[in-house]
Formats: sequence, structure tokens, C-alpha cells
Amino acid sequence: MAQRPASAERAREQDRELLQRYHNEGDTGAREQLIQRHLPLVRSLARRYAGRGEALEDIEQVGAIGLIKAIDRFELDREVSLATYATPNVVGEIKRHFRDKGWAIRVPRALQELNASMSGAIERLTGRLGRSPSIAEIAEELKTTPEEVLEAMEVGSAYSTVSLSAGPSGEDELDPLETIGGEDAGFERSEDRAALAPALERLAPREREILRMRFEEGLPQTQIAQRVGLSQMHVSRLIRKSLAVMREELLG
Amino acid sequence: MNDFGERIDLESPLSGDFQAVVRLIVGGIAERVDFAFEEIDDLQLAVERLLAEAGTTGSVCLSFEVGEDRIRTRIGPLSQSKVAEALQDGDMVPGQLTLRRILETVVDSFGVDPGDGGGIVVRLEKTKGPA
Repeated sequence: MAQRPASAERAREQDRELLQRYHNEGDTGAREQLIQRHLPLVRSLARRYAGRGEALEDIEQVGAIGLIKAIDRFELDREVSLATYATPNVVGEIKRHFRDKGWAIRVPRALQELNASMSGAIERLTGRLGRSPSIAEIAEELKTTPEEVLEAMEVGSAYSTVSLSAGPSGEDELDPLETIGGEDAGFERSEDRAALAPALERLAPREREILRMRFEEGLPQTQIAQRVGLSQMHVSRLIRKSLAVMREELLG
Repeated sequence: MNDFGERIDLESPLSGDFQAVVRLIVGGIAERVDFAFEEIDDLQLAVERLLAEAGTTGSVCLSFEVGEDRIRTRIGPLSQSKVAEALQDGDMVPGQLTLRRILETVVDSFGVDPGDGGGIVVRLEKTKGPA
């Protein structure tokens, strides 16, 4: 058997230490570190599935869900490394995502492409106009019709909605990809079932922070997008997804 | 000022399959008023959250009154006990994320009207921002 490099061995030991801290002591900071340490693996695996009509960023998020599941389910008496254990989980999550959503089958390629090009168009127009563009302006930028832009918007959101209907115990936990700081957003618990606060705990720090910026600071999506380094469309999807997941959590 | 000239009525099943259809219709109506992308997204989010409160069985009625630069949306019947309580005035706990807080953020104003059969109808108003 080949000798593992010392650096790889050290990394494996550090993973094991973090896993012990998380599983034995409930140290969620350790969990966060594990996620960050293995995001490059997720990105590398996600790249294999690029070019199939879905933004790489989104595939990475799905892959990150597989990583989190692997971290959460890892049994400490396993001899295998976390990277080895996580890889089939990440790939499985991505494959399931494509299979369940049927994205490549159901959505016409022209709409997929229009959806994929919309983020860039919105960013360009927002910068140029100094405000959120209208649908007509996006259509003009992309040399298409407002109706097609609206349809393309729904292409992206429809797949998110389907994804959400899987519910909190399903396979659509939110990802902690690119968490920004990790501080708690400060939302408090509430007994009101229509108040979504208790389920906030279910969300990754980045999603909590985005909700805090939107609903507490009242920042528009464009500003939030700039702060967190995502596209406005992505921020919009995360807000919708987070609120839906939280509600599912309450009903669950 | 009553400047709502056109009205569109829609009755939609509450099952999840039709949420995307409702979103598309909301988007199409808001586009006619030349709402910005973000404003359309806000209105769609408000409608989506209220539909979520309506449950998953039966149907719900939506009406859209369209003015030159604004849209008034009515959604109902919704459950009095769940939705009305969540929307009523009261002290807002800092950091609490309620349906009321969400609507306050994404639409200009909202209110509750009595609906048929003991339910309520939620009224949302959103005006196009300055160009």
C-alpha cells in the first residue's frame, strides 16, 4: 500500500479531531470548519456536472448538501477518511438533483440558456442604470421578448419550488457554501406558527444573514447580492427557498 | 386615489403544481406596469407566502387591480386564525421574522378584509418605484 504524504495524514487527523469535537461535544464551529475544509472537493466534483443546463454555483450548493450529510452521518469508528466517505455522498446528491428535477429533460434548451444568461444581464443593467432593471430592459439586453424573460425567470424558480416541496426531512437542506462570518442573525424564537423564527435555526449562517439583511435591515436584493458576492437572482432564490424551508419546518 | 383601471381575476388550485403558474401570472401582470425585476420578485414573494398559508387543498381566488404604476392584489379566502393573527398590529419583537414583517418589507401596504365563509382576504398594494 502506498505511503500517504505527511500533509495528507495531518489533514486527515485534523478532520478526525474536528469530527470528534462536532459529534462528541456538539461543537458546531468544528462542523463549519469541516465544511469549509472540504468545499474544494465539492467544487471539484461539481465541475464534472457543469454544462448540463444548470449554473455551476447551483450544482456546488447541491454538492455541499451532500457534504453536510456526510459530516453529520459520519461514524467516528470508521477507518475511512472524511473525504473518501463524503465523495459518494456529494456525487449522489448531485446526481439525485439532476434526476429529481429532470431539468435537462423538461426545460427547453433555449429557456435554460436564457435563464443562465439572465443573471449577468441583470448585473450589467443594474450597474448601468443604477437601479433594478425592468423586464422589458432585460429582454432588450438579451434580444428577446419580455414574455420569454418571465418564462426564464420561472424556469429557475420552478425547479427551486419543486425542490422545496421535498420538505425539511428530505434532501433539500440549505447549503452553508460561502458562509459569511457565521454569526447568528439575531432572530428570536416565537410561539406563533406563522412566525417563522423557530425554523431559522434550520438555516445555514449565510441564509440567516441574508434574511436578516432583507427583512431586518430592509436592504434591497441588489445590495445584499453585492455584500455576499452572489447574483441578485441567486439571492432571490435563497430568500424564497429559506422562507419555504422554514415554513415546512414549522409544519413538520 | 383610485386609479386602478383594469382587473384580472383568477381562481387557482392550491396544490404546489400551480404555484409556478401563479408566479408567472403575477410576473406577467407586474411587467405590464413596468415593475422592476426586483419589484416583481417582491410581489411574487408576497403572493407565494400567502398561498403557502392557504394550505395545499382546495382553491384560492386572486384578483389583481392594475393601475398606471401600481397593483392591488387580493388573495382569499385564507384562514382567519392563522393569517389574520400573524398580520395584526402589535409590538414587533426585534429579530422576529413574521409574515407581517415579510409583507412590510416586500409590499407598500397590506390589509385584511372579511371574506366569504368566515375566511379573510388579504389585500396587498405595491407601487412602481422611481425610474
